[in-house]
Amino acid sequence: MFAQILKGLRTTLEWGLKKPVTIEYPDIKRPVFERFRGRHELKRHPNGLERCIGCSLCAAACPADAIYVEPGENTDEERYSPGERYAKRYEINMLRCIFCGFCEEACPVDAIVLEHNYEISSYSREAMIYTKEMLLVPPPPGVPDTPQRTPAPPPQDMEAPVSNPQRVERTPPGGYITSYVPVHVVGEEVHPWLLNPVDEEEHTPRPAEAPSGEERA
Amino acid sequence: MYYPRLRGHAHVITDAPEVANAWRGTLEFILTSHPLDCPVCDKGGECPLQDLTFKYGPDLSRFYVPYKMHFQKPVPLGELIWLDRERCIYCSRCIRFCEEIANDPVLEFADRGRAQEIVTFSDPPFDSYFSGNTTDICPVGALTTEDFRFKARVWELRNVPSICPHCPVGCNIVIGERAGDIKRIMPRANEWVNEIWICDKGRFGHHFVGADDRLTAPLIRGEDGQFRAATWPEALDYVANRLAAIISTHGPRAVGGIAGARAANEDLYVFVKFFRDVLGSPNVDHRVAWPTGTGIEQAVAHVGLASGSNLASLGPGSLILLVGSDLEEEQPVSYLRVRRARRNGATVVVAQARPVKEEAEAAHLLRYRVGGEAHVMAAILKVVLEAHKNALDKRFNKLKGAQQVREAVADLSLDELARISGVSAEHIRAVAEVVVNARDVVIMVGREALVGAEENAPALVDAAVALLAATGKAGQVNSGLVALWPHNNSQGACDMGVLPDMLPGYRPADEAGATVDDMLSGAADLKALYIMAADPARDRPSSLNALKNVELLIVQDLFMTETARLAHVVFPAAAFAERAGSYTSLERRVQRTEQALRPPGEAMPDWWIVAQLAERFDAAWPPYATAVDIMNEVAKQVKVYKGMSYDKLEGEPVSWSTVAGYHHVYTGTSTLNTWFGRTWAVQAEARRPKYALRWSGLRPPRHEEGVRLVARRRLYDHGTMIARSHLLDRRRARPEVLISSQEAARLGLEEQGGAVRVQANGVTLVTAARVEPRLPADVAVVACDVDGTAWNALTEGGVRAPFGTLEKAEEAVE
Repeated sequence: MFAQILKGLRTTLEWGLKKPVTIEYPDIKRPVFERFRGRHELKRHPNGLERCIGCSLCAAACPADAIYVEPGENTDEERYSPGERYAKRYEINMLRCIFCGFCEEACPVDAIVLEHNYEISSYSREAMIYTKEMLLVPPPPGVPDTPQRTPAPPPQDMEAPVSNPQRVERTPPGGYITSYVPVHVVGEEVHPWLLNPVDEEEHTPRPAEAPSGEERA
Repeated sequence: MYYPRLRGHAHVITDAPEVANAWRGTLEFILTSHPLDCPVCDKGGECPLQDLTFKYGPDLSRFYVPYKMHFQKPVPLGELIWLDRERCIYCSRCIRFCEEIANDPVLEFADRGRAQEIVTFSDPPFDSYFSGNTTDICPVGALTTEDFRFKARVWELRNVPSICPHCPVGCNIVIGERAGDIKRIMPRANEWVNEIWICDKGRFGHHFVGADDRLTAPLIRGEDGQFRAATWPEALDYVANRLAAIISTHGPRAVGGIAGARAANEDLYVFVKFFRDVLGSPNVDHRVAWPTGTGIEQAVAHVGLASGSNLASLGPGSLILLVGSDLEEEQPVSYLRVRRARRNGATVVVAQARPVKEEAEAAHLLRYRVGGEAHVMAAILKVVLEAHKNALDKRFNKLKGAQQVREAVADLSLDELARISGVSAEHIRAVAEVVVNARDVVIMVGREALVGAEENAPALVDAAVALLAATGKAGQVNSGLVALWPHNNSQGACDMGVLPDMLPGYRPADEAGATVDDMLSGAADLKALYIMAADPARDRPSSLNALKNVELLIVQDLFMTETARLAHVVFPAAAFAERAGSYTSLERRVQRTEQALRPPGEAMPDWWIVAQLAERFDAAWPPYATAVDIMNEVAKQVKVYKGMSYDKLEGEPVSWSTVAGYHHVYTGTSTLNTWFGRTWAVQAEARRPKYALRWSGLRPPRHEEGVRLVARRRLYDHGTMIARSHLLDRRRARPEVLISSQEAARLGLEEQGGAVRVQANGVTLVTAARVEPRLPADVAVVACDVDGTAWNALTEGGVRAPFGTLEKAEEAVE
């Protein structure tokens, strides 16, 4: 009889002795693939000017009609982007977005990039409309924010394709994923572009309970 | 016109491999120095170069061009148009348009080779009323408008077909709407009306629709004399009660109605029905900006331009007789049409007291003396009737009144007519010969002719009608009489019977009501006045007393106008883009619009407001749900609109634009026009025409001391609608008076002019005088509808041509 009970519990006990597969989100976050398509970011040039030129091609490509762009015109006194045109308003409705990445593909200046943040939830529909201020990354350290008071850079002939240096340099924390190993990232520096207000106290790691990623591995 | 003229039977192949090869080579060369900034270019998405490159363009270039030509990005060509020299492909369409079509040769190429660029050499730069059209025909984004620059991408716009609300030409437009805003206005190709052009007033004058100071709620004047916002039921009940009280005490004739001719046919029909059927008052009129008592409304219904006419199809042997017109300032696209007819070989005869632009097209110019307009026309009629008896139409004598006209004209002396009008008898004989020999005769009568002729205006109209009938041109396609109305729907207002002596469809009324002149002068002794879409306090300042003295003044408008400030109740109305409706152009083409936007606040369409009032008088009206219901009723009740419906206003035979389809290479826009409207047939087109000729008699013109002041309406004035388009501010009409060289010499002014004091009509103004050498000595041209109301008081907003005195002023004027 006892043997029968053990037999019946065999699978349970087997799993009880194994390493658990549950990941304790949000304390533990699994890293994403390099080409994971998470929340959008609007990038900047190294000199702090916005890459986005407000051309609306992302909105045209968007199959979910999630993007609204209102263009404006740059002046030397008030310059947002290198050329004539910039995005005065740029909004993405994250409830509509299906994260297909077509906007990224359509963008002629590599301004919009679907990054690795997937924590996009809110208590209201209004808060799910991400404005330009929320999407735009901050300027590099020591570089002034837009609008800048600067003349237009000299025109470039578009013969050689311009690559996006920011995109290449970026490596996710913990390196690129090679296997599904959960890595503990809580307590690491919160990305500055994660503009959803983060309650610092709530996210400080609990030292005793939370094992580090290395231990787990 | 400018399309290749093919003789005989030709077969044109446009898709052969040779064609594709030629395209490929040309595109390869063009792209050696094209900036390819399509993402920021406003033309992107409807750019012929982009489309052709997609279709034929090579992906690689064999040319080794180490650099592309770079210029400073946009440079202004005037304040309306921007030029991006990098994008220009030197096709010279804009230069040719300005030179050949608009007759404003202000653009030209400068430099050679890769440094070549478009320049404007006029002052102010790009001085043309048609400059916006160059951005449509520009095959790249080299020319863009200030209005639409970086406003939206073209594919994001919702294109709503509409009709331009500014002048009676009735240009077909398309409203580019996005997020509840008008982003741009583009022409819709209609070969019968505007071809593919519109003027800059139509293109840039739409900002009144989205203006911040639109009325958004009904207003009632309280005990304290201040307006307070009210709900619709409250305001309507208040008006209905007050109106009922006034009618029960003073009778229905104590109530008058003035409907502005910019309202739609549906509004005007319901307005007239409310007054005549519900209130029982015949006092309705729309002619705030048009002289009354001329009979031209009826004449147009009798011998108007026959249906099926197209001014563009006039050619050799056709005649356009312009009397007292100023097409470029008042009906700009008509100027393009007349010019096109002339280029096709038609003869243009201009009779005008002062220099106007269309004189450049004229084969004969009759420079009459103001007051002699009718005498010129009568003289032409006399020569035609007497010297060309064999050429007369046989049906003429069968018309009622023909004999009377013959006898009356026989009594006139040609020399006397020539002496009074200031046009030589020789000249008149020459024009009469052109009239007799013409294949088609179009007579266009402008406001200035009727205003200048004063009490002889009916004779002018009678002579024009008799001329068309005598030459057999009445009712013939491409011939007829055109009144150059002041507003976009003046013709519709006449059709709908917004006239004191006529019912809808030109049926004579049993008893004539008070005209707009009587109502505004106080002669009609009104107790209540209902003004819809008009601003008489501004246009005719002499009406202030009459407007202040009525017990109940109801104003229904878009803005808090001068008249609305005096009102007891103000109703907020919806603008043309915020409701569906139909409008009738000066060629009597009924055309429909579609709703593009939502009205602001609680503003409602005019017809809805009037219908709600009628309901409060227990009128047994059918419940009008939309403008379609009213149009269907109009089709049944108004004889000339018989059989019309919104469906039938849509299609007409295939036109060039239908063939071109969505091809914006030719039409400027990527919208296909299928709504061409429909022209109603005039009486003369009937198999047995039943109209009568009249002769109202010619009297010698009035003569007083001083010079005759002729009001010139400018395209960009300070009117309620156009004043909200601040883009045009720098080109707006300025207060000024044009005087002849003789007058300047008499006053002792400098050669260029100087400050003068103008006195007329009880008004004194100190203003700048400019010398116009071509002006006759006894005429001074004064501005109208410029700052304030004083200038309107001088000429009653252009419906009077008073004698005035000029003297040199010592005050400095800017």
